[in-house]
This record gives sequence, C-alpha cells and structure tokens, in this order.
Amino acid sequence: MNLILAQYKASVLSLSRNPGYFIGSIVFPAVFFLFFVPSSAPSTLEANFAMGSFMIFAMMGALFFGFAVGIAQDRASAWAVYERTLPGSPYVRLVSRVLNGFTFAVGAVVVMAVVAHLTTPAHLSVAAWGRLVLALVAGAIPISLLGFAIGYLASPKGAGTLAQLFYLPLSFLGGLWVPPQNLPEVVQKISQFTPTRHWGDVVWPAVTGQAWKAQDFLSLAVFTLIFGVLALWGYRRDQGQRFS
Amino acid sequence: MTQTLTASYTAALEGRAVARLDRVSKRFGKTQALKGVSLEVYPGELLALLGPNGAGKSTAISLMAGLRRPDEGMVRLFGFDPRDPKARLHLGVTPQETGLPSELRVYEVLDLVQAYYPHPMPRGELLERFGLVGLERRQCGGLSGGQKRRLAVALAFAGNPKLVILDEPTTGLDVEARRSLWEGVRRYQAEGGTVLLTTHYLEEAEALASRVVVIDHGRTVVEGTVGEIKARVGLRQVRFRAPEVPSLEGVSKLKRENGTIVLYTPDSDAVVRQLVQKNVPFSDLEVQSVSLEEAFVALTGSR
Repeated sequence: MNLILAQYKASVLSLSRNPGYFIGSIVFPAVFFLFFVPSSAPSTLEANFAMGSFMIFAMMGALFFGFAVGIAQDRASAWAVYERTLPGSPYVRLVSRVLNGFTFAVGAVVVMAVVAHLTTPAHLSVAAWGRLVLALVAGAIPISLLGFAIGYLASPKGAGTLAQLFYLPLSFLGGLWVPPQNLPEVVQKISQFTPTRHWGDVVWPAVTGQAWKAQDFLSLAVFTLIFGVLALWGYRRDQGQRFS
Repeated sequence: MTQTLTASYTAALEGRAVARLDRVSKRFGKTQALKGVSLEVYPGELLALLGPNGAGKSTAISLMAGLRRPDEGMVRLFGFDPRDPKARLHLGVTPQETGLPSELRVYEVLDLVQAYYPHPMPRGELLERFGLVGLERRQCGGLSGGQKRRLAVALAFAGNPKLVILDEPTTGLDVEARRSLWEGVRRYQAEGGTVLLTTHYLEEAEALASRVVVIDHGRTVVEGTVGEIKARVGLRQVRFRAPEVPSLEGVSKLKRENGTIVLYTPDSDAVVRQLVQKNVPFSDLEVQSVSLEEAFVALTGSR
C-alpha cells in the first residue's frame, strides 16, 4: 500500500510538471467548452447536456489518451526497466497508473463543472450529481481499457498518433461536440457503434433528469469485455517481449 | 583481500552464493546470448564480469536482476527466483542515467526508490557518499551527465542492499569521477557488501575485483583471481631490435617482425631486467599495454 502511494505520488508529480499532459487533459477541454458552449446553450437543460458531453470529452483525454501514450512511452523507457528490478510487484505500477489517470480525470471533470457553472446556466440537483458520477465511471472503464490496449499494442512512437486518431473522431462521432440528433444521418448510424455514444447515452439522462435504459449499460459492458480482452492480450504480449 | 577470498571460499563450500546462474542458456531470436553459463557470486566479494561488447554480460545481469527468464538452467538470488520480488529486497541495481525521470527532483527519485526497501540508507548519508549534496532539489532533467551518473549509482545503494550490480558504471567518466566512484564501491565492500560489476576495462577489474570471470560468445572463458586473470589476459607487449634473444622467463608469446622482436608477457619489468642481465644488445625498446580485445585473441585464439 505504501509502495502504491509512493509510486502514485511520483507519477502525479511527474505528470503535473509535464505541460503537454496537463494542458491536454485539463486546460484544453475547458477552453474548448468555452469556445462553443456558453454562446449556444441558453437554457439549463442545454447547458447541462453540453456539460455532460464535455465532461466525457475531458475524461477521455486524461484516461484514454493518458494511458495510451503513457504506457507506450514506458515500454521504451530505461527507467521502467529499472523499476522492474526494485523489490515490488509489477502490479504496483499498474495500480498507481490507474489511480493517477483517474486523479487527472477527476481534476478535469471538476474544472469543467466550475467552468460550466460560471459561464452557463448549468445546474444539477444532488441526486443528479450522484447519477452523473456513476454514469461517468461506467463509461470510463471501457475507454480506459481501450487506452491500455493501444498503449500495449502500438509501437511506442506510433501510439500518440493512433490515440489522436481515436480520440477526436470518437468524440465527434459519439455526439460529444454536437448532440447526436443534430449529426448528419450517416454519422448518426456510425455513432451507434462507438463507445463514446453509449457513454453519452448513460450520461445525458443523468443530467437531463430522464430514466436510464438498461441496454445502454449493457452496451458499455460489451465494450468493456472487448477492450478488456484486447488490453490483456496486449499486456501479455508486451510482458513476453520485454521480460521473458 | 585474503580475508575476502577466504570468506568467498568458505561460502562456496557452504553453497551460500548470494546470486547464482546454474548452466543457464538464453536465446534472443537468432542470437544465442548465453550458452550454459554457470556463475556464482559469494558474500563479501567483488566479482568482475569481464568481456567484450556482446559477450553476454548484460544478459547474465538481466537474468540475475529478475528482468528475464532463462531458456534453460536455473537462476537464484538470495535463494529465490529473482523474478519473485522478495528475492530482490537486498539487491541494488543502477538505472541507465539517460532514463532518469526528468521531471522529478533528485530527492523525489530517492524517496520513490527508497520506499521499496525496508531499511533504506539514510538520505543524507546517501547524498554525501555519492557527491549529491546540494542537488536534492534539482530536477533530474537539469543535471549534468556526471551528476546523473552519480545519482544513478547512488540509486543502486539507496536500499542498503547486500548485493549491488553495477553494469559498466564508469564507461564515459573522466579519471577523477572514476576514482571517486571506485572509492565508494570499495567503501561499500569494506562494510561487508557484495558487488557484481561488469566492465570492459581490465584496469577497473584490477582496481576493484577480488575475482574475475571472463565471458565471451555467451560462454565462460576463464575465471580466477585478478592475479590469475592478469597473468593470462593482462599481457604487455615488449618490442625491441636485437640480432638474437636468449630464452627468457615469463614470455607468453614471441614473434619476429623484420629484425624487431615482439614478445607478450604478463611482467614486462622482469623481461626487461632479464634483457639487461643477460647483456642482450637491444635498441629501440618499447613497452605497451595490450588492450583487452587483443588479450582475448591471445586467450581464446579466435576473433
């Protein structure tokens, strides 16, 4: 436990001094929100909807993008090899990495909430906040696993580009920037197959006060399974290459 | 020295090697990195693993540090499989200094590494021993090459280990930095620590090692005390002009190159003394040390 804490502290310090990650995961989504939302969301309902969407977008930056790039870089780093010689299980690093990603994800969500409340009429009841947090976590799991899969399967240099190729299109296709019903018809069809759309489908009811549909959680579970298998396969393959 | 050796042999009899490769083979793709190598590191000794680049030194070390699994044979560290974290509780390894986390400050890196060990060396002592006092708050990325190296070496000692593995610790260091690092290693050994060192400098092995193992092409070529290895590997070349040479003691190899006599010997002083005593009318005398690479040729008769 102390080990995980020490490792966690070091990676949070390290990442918070890395302007690329810090700006990409916390500042950029908030700025993006400021550009597009305040002028186009006059009502509380619209503002809530946009806030939910952008919280997903922000969490994706910290989790999906952070894991994909962080893991891929680690696979090429001499320091990670050194850490394997320290008397701790490799899972210490894994757990600390997850905690670390979620720390920045929470930071990004909090910043987004503050920005939304300052610049739009967004407002949620305590119960709605509870539902929102649950919905955010439900979607964060499969998207994190997709980040892990890319981090382990892509080449260390290619992972950044590949993650970028997923990150922005998934955000657009999932209806995070433009609500799904306003997307072109073709895009709406493709949208059904993205994990981000299903993430939105559990977040939007939470912020607009509608009932959840079980099938949306089920879809997220299916994505979790698929990405989980990919991530596990990638992890095993990487460990086999570097440490056997 | 004698004490160390006695301790080593006693340990050998009791089978108390702190680290051990037992008939280990390891292949990477088409490269056979190790071919049935056996190697023991005994408590209190400083074992130098010597060999040219690509000989298999790094592979041997990565096996002992638990980074790799052998294809054949067995690896033990303090009696356990080194892939088991508890085997590594008393092991210290140096990271490559190019890999130090550049955003972290020196003390933050030390804190992180020390958190892994039950009885780490007090931070002040560690900083003082490795010339890092005053650099605690500097970010690793901003350290000079020499400072990074000192930090990297300090990390191997941060956990108060019983065995330290140093992989070419002085490659690229200037003479002064090298001496001070040697000083630190000697001090650690004097306090009872065990060291496994890889190097391609015979001089370094000579300065530090109580025992030397030479590996090449994935096999153990020769193993012995520094003196024994020096007698075989630490050759000097003596060249001079002379019409003829009487038989001389301590000459490993002699050849003639158009009127010039070239001979290889572990003790050039003794050879020159003999030349004088035997009134050999020599001229243009030159004595040169022989590189390890050349010595390997003499030793293995290949390459």
